[in-house]
Amino acid sequence: MTRPVLSHLGLILACLVVLLPILWVLRTSLVPEHASYAKEIFPSITLDNYQALFADKNFGRNYLNSLIVAVLSVVLTMPLAAMTGYAFARFRTGGRLARFATLASQMLPPVALALPVFMLYRVTGLTNSLTGIVLVYSAINLPFLTWILMGFFESIPEDLEGAAMTDGATRWGAFWRVVLPVAAPGIMAAAVLGFILSWNEFLFALILGGSKTATVPVALAALQTSNGVQISQVSAGVSLAILPLLIAVRFIQKYLVQGLSFGSVK
Amino acid sequence: MTAITLDSISRDYGSGLYGVRDVSLTIDEGEFMVLLGPSGCGKSTTLRMIAGLEEITAGRIRIGARDVTELPPRDRNVAVVFQSYALYPHMSVRENMRFGMKMRGTPVAEQDRRIAEAASILGLEPYLDRKPGALSGGQRQRVALGRAMVREPDVFLMDEPLSNLDAKLRGEMRQELVKLHRRLGKTMVFVTHDHVEAMTMGDRICIMRDGHIEQVGPPLEVYANPANTFVAQFLASPAMNLIPASLAGDATRLTLKAGPISGDLPPAQAALYTKAAQEPAILGLRAEDVLSEPTASTLPVAGKVIVREALGAENLIGIETAEGIALSARTGRDFLPAFGDQVTLHADMARMHLFRASDGKAWSRQG
Repeated sequence: MTRPVLSHLGLILACLVVLLPILWVLRTSLVPEHASYAKEIFPSITLDNYQALFADKNFGRNYLNSLIVAVLSVVLTMPLAAMTGYAFARFRTGGRLARFATLASQMLPPVALALPVFMLYRVTGLTNSLTGIVLVYSAINLPFLTWILMGFFESIPEDLEGAAMTDGATRWGAFWRVVLPVAAPGIMAAAVLGFILSWNEFLFALILGGSKTATVPVALAALQTSNGVQISQVSAGVSLAILPLLIAVRFIQKYLVQGLSFGSVK
Repeated sequence: MTAITLDSISRDYGSGLYGVRDVSLTIDEGEFMVLLGPSGCGKSTTLRMIAGLEEITAGRIRIGARDVTELPPRDRNVAVVFQSYALYPHMSVRENMRFGMKMRGTPVAEQDRRIAEAASILGLEPYLDRKPGALSGGQRQRVALGRAMVREPDVFLMDEPLSNLDAKLRGEMRQELVKLHRRLGKTMVFVTHDHVEAMTMGDRICIMRDGHIEQVGPPLEVYANPANTFVAQFLASPAMNLIPASLAGDATRLTLKAGPISGDLPPAQAALYTKAAQEPAILGLRAEDVLSEPTASTLPVAGKVIVREALGAENLIGIETAEGIALSARTGRDFLPAFGDQVTLHADMARMHLFRASDGKAWSRQG
């Protein structure tokens, strides 16, 4: 009897550690600026912070920018990551070196790439453009998503492709008609991860972009002004920024948990 | 004409590692050929090479009159039933069966007809709209077979298709497959490591080891005349008893000394094995040729009972002789000594096998 109670208490505590900051942000976004540090939980409730964000700070534009770069970079990266991951998994393309290079690229601190990319972009005129940000996000995410998908393709029995190819499909046909549908949960999960990475990215968006191309993280950072931090507006922005991630995480749960390949073998 | 000819095929993985080495074999049209051998002997690799799923690094493969060595799997008109079944998990049973026909542009009406026919033969009608995940192992096995059948291929290739089934279902499917082979009359190549499957299903069996063929022939012939000690041991359970032996004398009187077994051989065996008197040999005795009662052609062997398996219809008795040699016997159900009992068994020398000690080859096949 005591053990479930104790473990539940522990779990509740752990949940609070995770949830309280988020709940506090949500609460602060709904109270006036002057009451943001007040002792009462809700001295008064208002949507002014949200309104100010959209009316004065052009947050709608930032939100749209974030959506555009996150979605487009995923759309651009996924087919490449899927094909590269498949090639790594099935044909050992590039051998160990290629695999190591893929992993090694993730160990490099992003800031080490920022300056060279900026120089390249200045020459090619890609600074201050959403296209530039989409391209750099795609390049950054490609190795990571390739790595994830490689693992997923490796877990798919090769016999499935063997069956498809003796059934009359080409290698590409087997990949398209059999491997991809079977790998769908993994591909969805990878796509959601790619989206989250792009959505949260700050450094490149700040360095390569300008006011027109500012994404949500850049816009939120801009609320830290010389006059202080407008904490209620920041909270409102953060609350909105979390929204797509919450939806994305729902997807990840759904797709990661179910293994579609069950039933194909054994 | 869909005979399969393997002409000195090899699969070289580099650095001297071979999956299959210089294998030549002709599988006749309509024949049920079983490739039998232990894990890693190259039987599955050979099958996959026929299917086009494994690269052929040397040699040629012909299916019928066509040289298919360089052809991709889709152009070979073979169907493979995999050990894992490899059903497409995102497709229903019907779609699984339809896939191959769709790929080949079979008219939809014909597709439907063939699916209905195969489903009726295999008892799959109630499951046509289910996904593989909702089927039992036996049902999946049938779907895999059905998927191969509807394609109406020239050749069926089966890679240990029964190994994931329980013993009872395996026995049933064994008979079903033999019936199916008779009904379709197609060339079938069946890979297994189970000697019972090989003995009961194959028109011929091809026993492989370390990437090469040890012996090919009709099951009973191979059982009666194993080419070497490997085949002799692999093709039975319990494995053939092998005892180091020497022979002395000539065709008129040949005396054998094999551990605890010694005495004159019957005239027929004496005549057959006279040449073996020159060098060390290995005596081979199948468990069913070690008897509980003496006959005119037996030699006695005494030992302590260390294995005692009563199987109902028969008993498996294992003894250890004073020399430390283990010998197994398949006896009638009335002969069931207790563990540790001293018993005398009788080795039937009229059914003995003799192998050359140096290379394990059967003396009866030395020409």
